[in-house]
Amino acid sequence: MSAGCRTWQGRCIEEANPKQFFRCSFLLKSNVLSMEKLKVLKLGWEFPPLINGGLGIACYGLSKALSELVDLTVIVPQAPAAGSGQNFELQGLNNMTPADLSTSKSYSFSEFAQVAQIPIALDPYFSDESESSTTVITEESVATAVEKSIREKLELFRSGDLYGEDVGAKVIEFAKICARIALQTDFDIVHAHDWMTYLAGVEVKKVTGKPLVVHLHASQYDRAGADARGWIFELEKFGMQEADRVIPVSYYTGNIVTDHYGIDSSKVRPIHNGAEMVESFSTKKKFPEKLVLFLGRLTAQKGPEFFLEIAAKVLEKNPDVRFVMAGTGEKLKPLIESGAFKGLGDHFHFTGFLNKEKVNEVLSMTDVYCMPSVSEPFGLSALEAAQFGIPAVISRQSGVAEVLKGALVADFWDVDLMAKHISDLISDDELCARIVKQAEQDITQATWEAAASRVVDVYRELV
Amino acid sequence: MDSVCLYFQVHQPNRLQPYDFFRIGENAFYEDDKLNGEVLRKVARKCYLPATELLLRAIEESKGKFKCSFSLSGVFLEQCEHHAPEVIEAFQRLVGTGNVEILGETYYHSLASSYSPDEFARQVELHRLKVKELFGVEPRVFRNTELIYSNAVAAQVERAGFQGVLAEGIDEFLRGEETGQVFRPPGLKSVKVLLRNSELSDDLGFRFSDKNWTGYPLRPATFVRKIRGKKEGVATIFLDFETIGEHHWADTGIFDFYDGFIKRACAVDLKFVTPSKIIEDSESCPIYDCYKDTSWADQERDLSAWKGNVMQQEAFSKVARLEQRILAINDLDLLHSWGKLQTSDHFYYMATKQGSDQEVHDYFSPYPSPYDAYIFFMNAMADLAIRVQRLEESRK
Repeated sequence: MSAGCRTWQGRCIEEANPKQFFRCSFLLKSNVLSMEKLKVLKLGWEFPPLINGGLGIACYGLSKALSELVDLTVIVPQAPAAGSGQNFELQGLNNMTPADLSTSKSYSFSEFAQVAQIPIALDPYFSDESESSTTVITEESVATAVEKSIREKLELFRSGDLYGEDVGAKVIEFAKICARIALQTDFDIVHAHDWMTYLAGVEVKKVTGKPLVVHLHASQYDRAGADARGWIFELEKFGMQEADRVIPVSYYTGNIVTDHYGIDSSKVRPIHNGAEMVESFSTKKKFPEKLVLFLGRLTAQKGPEFFLEIAAKVLEKNPDVRFVMAGTGEKLKPLIESGAFKGLGDHFHFTGFLNKEKVNEVLSMTDVYCMPSVSEPFGLSALEAAQFGIPAVISRQSGVAEVLKGALVADFWDVDLMAKHISDLISDDELCARIVKQAEQDITQATWEAAASRVVDVYRELV
Repeated sequence: MDSVCLYFQVHQPNRLQPYDFFRIGENAFYEDDKLNGEVLRKVARKCYLPATELLLRAIEESKGKFKCSFSLSGVFLEQCEHHAPEVIEAFQRLVGTGNVEILGETYYHSLASSYSPDEFARQVELHRLKVKELFGVEPRVFRNTELIYSNAVAAQVERAGFQGVLAEGIDEFLRGEETGQVFRPPGLKSVKVLLRNSELSDDLGFRFSDKNWTGYPLRPATFVRKIRGKKEGVATIFLDFETIGEHHWADTGIFDFYDGFIKRACAVDLKFVTPSKIIEDSESCPIYDCYKDTSWADQERDLSAWKGNVMQQEAFSKVARLEQRILAINDLDLLHSWGKLQTSDHFYYMATKQGSDQEVHDYFSPYPSPYDAYIFFMNAMADLAIRVQRLEESRK
């Protein structure tokens, strides 16, 4: 196998068509469009305009494309009051009334007897949940919880942060309410996105008997590291075990699903995200130096410290480069301090949080995009950069490396190689042009329509 | 003590805009002119105008017995010329009485003494010219930015031709001596040192309006008695002029206090003296061997207020590093931009200390955090470096 060939389940994926992983039984059903439209109940957490990261964007992009192929209902904790104006039905729990949830079918929430403890305060970006106090869910408290009026449950979703300290309680109430909605909805398949909705997905499957597909956009392995254990990890594992199919957003993440979570590979179907085409433009830089951009949350997962080290390595040899770290996060202050310690401050610029307009402005003047993520399930921003004609240097631990076949790749910790890639790109226009050209081809393939069609293929395996 | 040496520092910095990355290479003006003008006019209204008027009246009413001294930073004088010329006139009236001495300092209120003797000398000369232009006097005594002092600073001050220099009285170097006398640094020919009496100075500068202070409220008679009760020598009271009316607002009674204090002191023959007069009259002087950097800032009374963390250290090193290239270009605008980026306040805002000292840093800072102060400053520095590079290339 060539050195550059990426693998999944022992196969070289660069040559492989993802459909080759599907079972033969599916191939018989491949002509999906001629069949009756599937009815899909999708469970999401973030949804535009309420987005925190890539999850909301991905759920929206996929839903929009899926709605052309299936009858789609999307349930999220919070949605704008008015209908989405889309081809699918978007239901926000924040907009529901108890009357919407009355059901003649009897329902008792049984599933989270398996969840012994709920941390009261949760932060998905920290691996250590032990510091937060926990409340033990006894059968009694389950009963009390269930008895809590539906009005009260719905109230939980009318305000507050989706990832606030009460996220644990929200996850459980979301599951209960989704189960009620499922009982009065006609659908063929339930599709849940990330751990916040997995409990709901399993619950819906239990009460309706419909097959469950879980989508993995980011795992606790990515956010908090390989050692992370706790309630979120358990939920992820439980959700994937109970699911009939697991869709990780890349082969890289597929490996985490099978190797780290121990999920049976025969039900894992990696499907790459798409990217909305953006209106790209270019702005003339106001300074003579080349510009290298890091864009993302300043948290360990994104590898901002490595970017700082890479910058120091590049600047050592070539002072005519500027580095921009766009974004904010808990690492911002220590990063500023280490940048100062390394003496990079006049060539390494922190912008803090940038809105979409400013992000596009900085993209429009960027020469090289660098994404040294420690673990990146997909990495949509690299595709967005590619749309701006920017060559990317990305970590091998990134799903998007499977899509951008020309991108220069290195292990996230290999700052020497990363720095060499960047130095090569800023000094070799021909190399740049070649990579940009390849990326242009790659992004035309990376559409939500393509992703949605593969997702429907997965549904057809089950229905 | 039978005499009082009252010295006031007057300074306003050129606070920078929130100079973000997107301005680099495009916006060559770094300062927030609007904010700086607003602050200056506010402080003029609360302090500079009424306080100079109070002192002028005191000189007249005391028939010349009241004397005091000032240092006015070059950047402050420049701001006054732009935003409040009446403040300069007020100081001109004071200097015109012959009872007010103007001290020398660095034009940009900088820490140049700590990184470049040449740049220090250049800024001292710039300031001398400005004082001469506006007030028609030649400073004979020097005070460095925020009373920054060491043996090495003393040597630079002597070389610049001054007779004396003001410094913070640090116990470690006083070795049991009192601040009320004139000292001399080791190994130098002529320059003398006047040390600040921190207790008396801080009574007026810091504690005056503190209701939890045991000395609150401070009455003129009590303060005069306290001074006279101390050993021989001069009560060296050195503080920020802005403490009158700005840090301690008028409603704390600070104006009435100064009025009463001066009247009371004159009545009991407590003499007011200027720094150059004390130095002139001094005979044998003990040695003040200050081999470390000292200042009047923060608990540490060293340079940590400006150079205590890596952000401040990097910012300094990047400013200092441009010296030779900027001097070689010899463009007045560029030199002035660079000079103004050396103002100590930019670095003061980047401090990440704790407790009450950091509260003071934060109180003065126009930015949300020290990290913002650092980012905006470094972005402005990056722009300045680009201008340097462009001018170098255009002259090739």
